[in-house]
Amino acid sequence: MASKRFGTMGLVFIMMVSMITACSGSVGKDPALKDSNEKVTFTYFNATAGRDINTNETRIGKILEDQTGVNWKLEHLVGDSNTKIGTFIASNDFPDVIVPDGTIDKLLDAGAFIPLNDLIDKYGPNIKRVYGPYYNLMKAQDGNIYFLPLSAVVGDYLPAPNVEQGAFWVQRRVLKEAGYPKIKTLDEYLTLIRNYVKKHADEGLTGYLALTTQDRFYALTNAPMHLAGYPNDGGTIIDMKSHQATDYGDEEITKRYLKELNQLNAEGLFDKASFVDNYDQYLGKLTSGKVLGFFDYRWQAGQALNNLQEASKQSGNDDMEYIGLPVVYDKNIKDQYIDPSSFVNNRGIGITVSAKDPVRIIKFFDNLLTDENQVLSNWGVKGETYDVDKKGRFYRTKEQIKQTGQDAFRESFGFKYFEYSWPRYGSGSTLPDGNSVGPGRQPEVARMSYTEGDKMLLKAYGVKSFSQMFSAPDERPWYPAWSIPIVQGSPAQLFQQKKGDLQRKYFPRIVLSAPGQFESIWNEYTTEFNKLDVKEYEELITKEVVKKIETAGKK
Amino acid sequence: MGHTTPVTISQSHLPPSRRNGFRGFMHKLNQQRALVWMSIPFLIWLFIFKYLPIWGWTIAFQDFKPARKLLDQQWVGLKHFRFLFQDEHFLRVMRNTLAMSFINLVLGFVTAIILAILLNELRQIVFKRVVQTISYLPHFISWVVAASIISTALSADGGIVNEVLMWLGLIKEPILWLGEGSYFWGILGASEVWKNVGWNTIIYLAAMTMIDPSQYEAAEMDGAGRFQWIWHVTLPGLKPVFIILLIMNIGNLLESGFEPQYLLGNGMNVDYSENLDIFVLKYGIQMGNFSLSIAAGMFKTVVSFILLFSANHIAKRLGEERLF
Repeated sequence: MASKRFGTMGLVFIMMVSMITACSGSVGKDPALKDSNEKVTFTYFNATAGRDINTNETRIGKILEDQTGVNWKLEHLVGDSNTKIGTFIASNDFPDVIVPDGTIDKLLDAGAFIPLNDLIDKYGPNIKRVYGPYYNLMKAQDGNIYFLPLSAVVGDYLPAPNVEQGAFWVQRRVLKEAGYPKIKTLDEYLTLIRNYVKKHADEGLTGYLALTTQDRFYALTNAPMHLAGYPNDGGTIIDMKSHQATDYGDEEITKRYLKELNQLNAEGLFDKASFVDNYDQYLGKLTSGKVLGFFDYRWQAGQALNNLQEASKQSGNDDMEYIGLPVVYDKNIKDQYIDPSSFVNNRGIGITVSAKDPVRIIKFFDNLLTDENQVLSNWGVKGETYDVDKKGRFYRTKEQIKQTGQDAFRESFGFKYFEYSWPRYGSGSTLPDGNSVGPGRQPEVARMSYTEGDKMLLKAYGVKSFSQMFSAPDERPWYPAWSIPIVQGSPAQLFQQKKGDLQRKYFPRIVLSAPGQFESIWNEYTTEFNKLDVKEYEELITKEVVKKIETAGKK
Repeated sequence: MGHTTPVTISQSHLPPSRRNGFRGFMHKLNQQRALVWMSIPFLIWLFIFKYLPIWGWTIAFQDFKPARKLLDQQWVGLKHFRFLFQDEHFLRVMRNTLAMSFINLVLGFVTAIILAILLNELRQIVFKRVVQTISYLPHFISWVVAASIISTALSADGGIVNEVLMWLGLIKEPILWLGEGSYFWGILGASEVWKNVGWNTIIYLAAMTMIDPSQYEAAEMDGAGRFQWIWHVTLPGLKPVFIILLIMNIGNLLESGFEPQYLLGNGMNVDYSENLDIFVLKYGIQMGNFSLSIAAGMFKTVVSFILLFSANHIAKRLGEERLF
């Protein structure tokens, strides 16, 4: 009896142990897999929203699988990237490769990526060719390279023909009615809008709109920096000579912008709901065509701008479309809206410690970085999604432009999954024969995609492409300063958070107050602002900027 | 629910066992061994999922870095608690949390009970079902969608709320509802009611079916009208359910919700919309400071624990239905 009971207890114990351990059993590595071209599927996580798919279900992915035998199971982000990455870290179980977007510091902090130096030396001749010049900027403090950034420019740098960055946007009908004047300063820009609203007083127009929702708040706070003639360095402006970083949150340039908005609001030209609308409502208002002007980045307003473009292509009337202008405070300021050629070294793709076969993965990466495969992942297949003329120039026909612009096609063909978020020739790269690597930057493609209205506008301003209305960017080796890593939980990070909270609270009050109260609320805000540890933050950025200039010089 | 007689009879009511103490215990154990064996997997489950994670509370006393081993973590004592309680925002955040919780609690109970009574009085079954279904549908909408609906309804240009108020002549020009901090609690309370009232009635409707019909008959014999029925029969019948729910909800007083405040909150109403959870998200999780999040979680647990026990104790003293 006693032994039987003991036996039962033993049995239960064994069952329990096996239950607990069953979950943690791992699949052993199969050494035979290495170095063969046998088919294999790896996992890939991208911290941006998208559809989950196997790459060999797409045209490009299938071709790559035929070359390497590697298929990728893509997983995209649902919800919040910090939470998702946090879950990976907590479980210490990662997909084979991760493109973590803004959360890369967390993964590096947690030691989730393997060092790539030896792998590249052994298996990555193309990786060396593409990334070699940037090694100094890619190395972590311990001298290792943990991920491949997505912005290594190969060949000559080619600027984008269309406006891809921030700009002061204005509706085309406003320019049309005014006879296409040259607009340079904020005063001119606002006068243009004021005049139009005056003439069309009963049409329920909104003069000016701002985007302020949640983590897109920078669309409001970044404008002063651009107006003062600086490129998008985030919350700081960096002096070209002394390289001193200044947080402009309490500077004259911010005050001047808010003052203008305050004035617009007093005249009833500013949409008060800017401070309560969510992103959908914002896009909805832009698409409605009632808004005359706004400041934003192309990538944020893009959805609305694309919809308007679609609509105008159908109706043949592009009055409601917007055009981006390089507006600055004063005549003598040189605008710097277009990003300088830059190397963003805090975004990229890395192989994780959970990866089953890093050698196969690095070989796949290397294979992606041949000229042919860069053409494949950007231009597609010759005769189908692009053609080549007698001089060897790549171009797309009207039909091809239309087809490759459609989301559904971009998904099924695989452009959506391969033209970005992999080791790649950075935007603006060129092939040895002078063709652009990205079709969007090939002047022939841009010209072909312009509508009659576009051409008319370009002619009126005497330029060949929209980006030619903007000044060429000056050399800024540290650019972009927003990519400078800030240590998690450090005083600098705390400062950024507190500053954000403070501005979210005060800027609406400052803008919406009666003009007579402007000064007093502004003073209240700057008093609060100066209680924060802004000095330490500015010193940190200055130090890192200097460091970046030095490493860039060594590259 | 309702008045039930205890199923298990406690030991003190039994005649004293022949064998007391440890041997008595072992005897009893042996007698009920099948039950004991059956309960063991659940105890293990309880232990693994409910008690082992408490180990994670140690994180609150460290500067926690995910990749490091326990011994490599830096221990900092009460640093994170100090940050939490000393932050100038903390009082405001606590006020908002408690206020919104309290509003939700009171509004939630009152509206659910009223709707349940009204539904109960309906004799037209089809109509009753339709009303019930419509009223609990919003419960299944996620807050993301619900918040979009709410902010569209409250929009200053073309939002239905402003349109109706203007049409009625109550206001002259559209109000920026979400831009005025002091409106936020009201908007939140109304939203919660809209979203959950139908769902919350279900338990009361269930409780009402437990009320003995003879009580109504007796009341009718005594000449009670509709309102007296409700006052003297239905409401007393609901009391046990009400009190149990109240006790449980008081335990959750620091959980004022997260999604609606996060999604409807903006810079203009932040003084009223930011609650403890959002504070923790901003200064804890978003900054990779897990320790602070855990510290706040511990604080919440302790307060909830105290509240729950006090409420239960008071209910016991008043001789009312109670949780344990």
